[in-house]
Amino acid sequence: MNRINALLLLVVIAALLINASTYVIDQAEQGIVVQFGEPVGSPVTEPGLHWKLPFVQDVRRFDKRLLVWDGDVNQIPTLGREFVIVDTTARWRIVDPLMFLRSVRDEHGARTRIDDIIDSVVRDIISGTNLEEIVRSHDWKVALDEIDEGDMVRSDVDLGKPKKGRAQLEKDMLAEASRLMPSLGIELVDVRIKRINYIDSVRRQVENRMVAERQSIAERFRSEGQGRSQEILGQMERELRTISSEAERKAAEVRGKADGEATRVYGVAYGADPEFYAFFRTLESYKAMGANTTLMLDSDSEYYRYLQSTRRR
Amino acid sequence: MSSGQNILSGLFGAQAKRGGWQPNPSRPGRLPVIVLIVAVLALWGVLSAFYTVQPEQRAVVKRFGAVVNIADPGLHFKLPFGIDQVQLVATERVLKEEFGFRTIGESQPTRYADSELPDESLMLSGDLNMIDAEWVVQYRIADPVKFLYAMREPVRTLRDISESVMRRAVGNRLGSDVLTTARTEIAESVELEIQQAMDRYDNGIRIVTVQLQDVVPPKAVRPAFNEVNEARQERERMINEATKQANQRVPLARGQANRVIAEAEGYATERVNNALGETARFRSILAEYRSAPDVTRTRMYLETLNQVLPDVGQVLVMQKGQVSPLPLLNLRDARPAATVEAK
Repeated sequence: MNRINALLLLVVIAALLINASTYVIDQAEQGIVVQFGEPVGSPVTEPGLHWKLPFVQDVRRFDKRLLVWDGDVNQIPTLGREFVIVDTTARWRIVDPLMFLRSVRDEHGARTRIDDIIDSVVRDIISGTNLEEIVRSHDWKVALDEIDEGDMVRSDVDLGKPKKGRAQLEKDMLAEASRLMPSLGIELVDVRIKRINYIDSVRRQVENRMVAERQSIAERFRSEGQGRSQEILGQMERELRTISSEAERKAAEVRGKADGEATRVYGVAYGADPEFYAFFRTLESYKAMGANTTLMLDSDSEYYRYLQSTRRR
Repeated sequence: MSSGQNILSGLFGAQAKRGGWQPNPSRPGRLPVIVLIVAVLALWGVLSAFYTVQPEQRAVVKRFGAVVNIADPGLHFKLPFGIDQVQLVATERVLKEEFGFRTIGESQPTRYADSELPDESLMLSGDLNMIDAEWVVQYRIADPVKFLYAMREPVRTLRDISESVMRRAVGNRLGSDVLTTARTEIAESVELEIQQAMDRYDNGIRIVTVQLQDVVPPKAVRPAFNEVNEARQERERMINEATKQANQRVPLARGQANRVIAEAEGYATERVNNALGETARFRSILAEYRSAPDVTRTRMYLETLNQVLPDVGQVLVMQKGQVSPLPLLNLRDARPAATVEAK
């Protein structure tokens, strides 16, 4: 039994010793061996099982991967004095764990330093730039002639090409912020503007202005509709009057011509014996008398005379 | 972080306690304890020596923290006791990130969270208008090792970059274009640009598609925006109505005009024909009259009266110097309506 105990003891001691003199570096990690707090040798970047001196040496581990930095949302005035909310994001990695360990100790320390650096760089660049410049990119182009009056295009904004544009500003931010990073053992991979927008009070103003603009456009459309409608109706009226008056004129001409022709015919015919025509026409008109007519005969008239006597005159 | 170390220390720590000196080492029951320990260890070793990979997954196998293998779907063996560790990654599944809205659950029909996410969806267009855009990014994990070990937070990075890229794309266009014609163009350029960023990070993400969902003006402006569209419709409607009225009335007027002219032409023909007829008759009578003027004249006069008198209501004879006329015949009780004086 003692032998078994002794064997067990040996196994345990060996295990403890192995445990204390090995360490594992994960695929995602890099490590620095420290001896009584003092870094020893170069950083270990190979993942796997590694040896160290037991008990006196310890391992500090750092992430090897690309890390995300997300800053606070900042209110910054632009060059045009508009207050905007800017939310930036950046990617960084620990390239020099030794430097990193000495200067910022850990990720928490690094983050506060990065916060300070990027925030101030972003603040500097945003406040020195017009909002258009931050929003648009270098390949901005606008076909002004394609803008319809009813389109949602702000009329009070200069639509010119930006001098730098967003991508270049982001590059400037990266370059500016990167200057201090090597001393922290950090590499900044990119800095990007994630969100940029008006602050609430400006937003409401812009919204109100947009609403007013929309309403005036709507009003214009309506009155344009009425105007065009009136125009069309006026043209219609003109056309109607032209058509009917022309027809009346033509009709009168035709009638007049016919009347003239008839007059000529009558004139020629009746001109042959006007006296007889008068007699003939008078008799014709008597025939038109009806039952409601009262005929007055002068006692001197020929008819009456024969009624009184058949004596030959 | 090293689980291998933890496991070793845990394992041997436990054994050290149990295997420590006892007051009476030769007590019966010692051996079964060791046997028990060995059995537990053996069971753990067996259970931790294999793993299964689902069809849509790939397994990344790490030995002492270092990636040694990527396993396809199926049943696989590995070194036990946490020496080999397995991370499963769904490489075949198309994953989705939503911006500006959230789908709730997997229920049918799909429901969306009511609360809007203005911070995520509100952005500025190139003419500094505000646009509320919602979109979806679909992606696949093309390389599980890169996905796990190139970045610490690849999905969060994808979200950040998507927002940044979408804002750049929208900011590079006029608000009206974004709302109307440029949608597909934006989606395509955003997809391309996100993929470029992911490739730069080399994080194993492959973008499948970027789809714009609702792209609208901000909520407060929307009613006014609709008003413009309505007014535009109204303008068209008013113009159409006026045109319609004109189209109705002008052809009618043309027809009426033609009718008036045709009637006048009819009148003209009638008038001339009448004249020709009447004069022809007159000429015939005149020709006969001239052969015997006196007789014919008297005959015509008497014939006419003969024809007229029976129909005449009343005949009055006027005597010279008398005030009232003499009634000659009172055949009918007729009111004198018209008076013709015969000479």
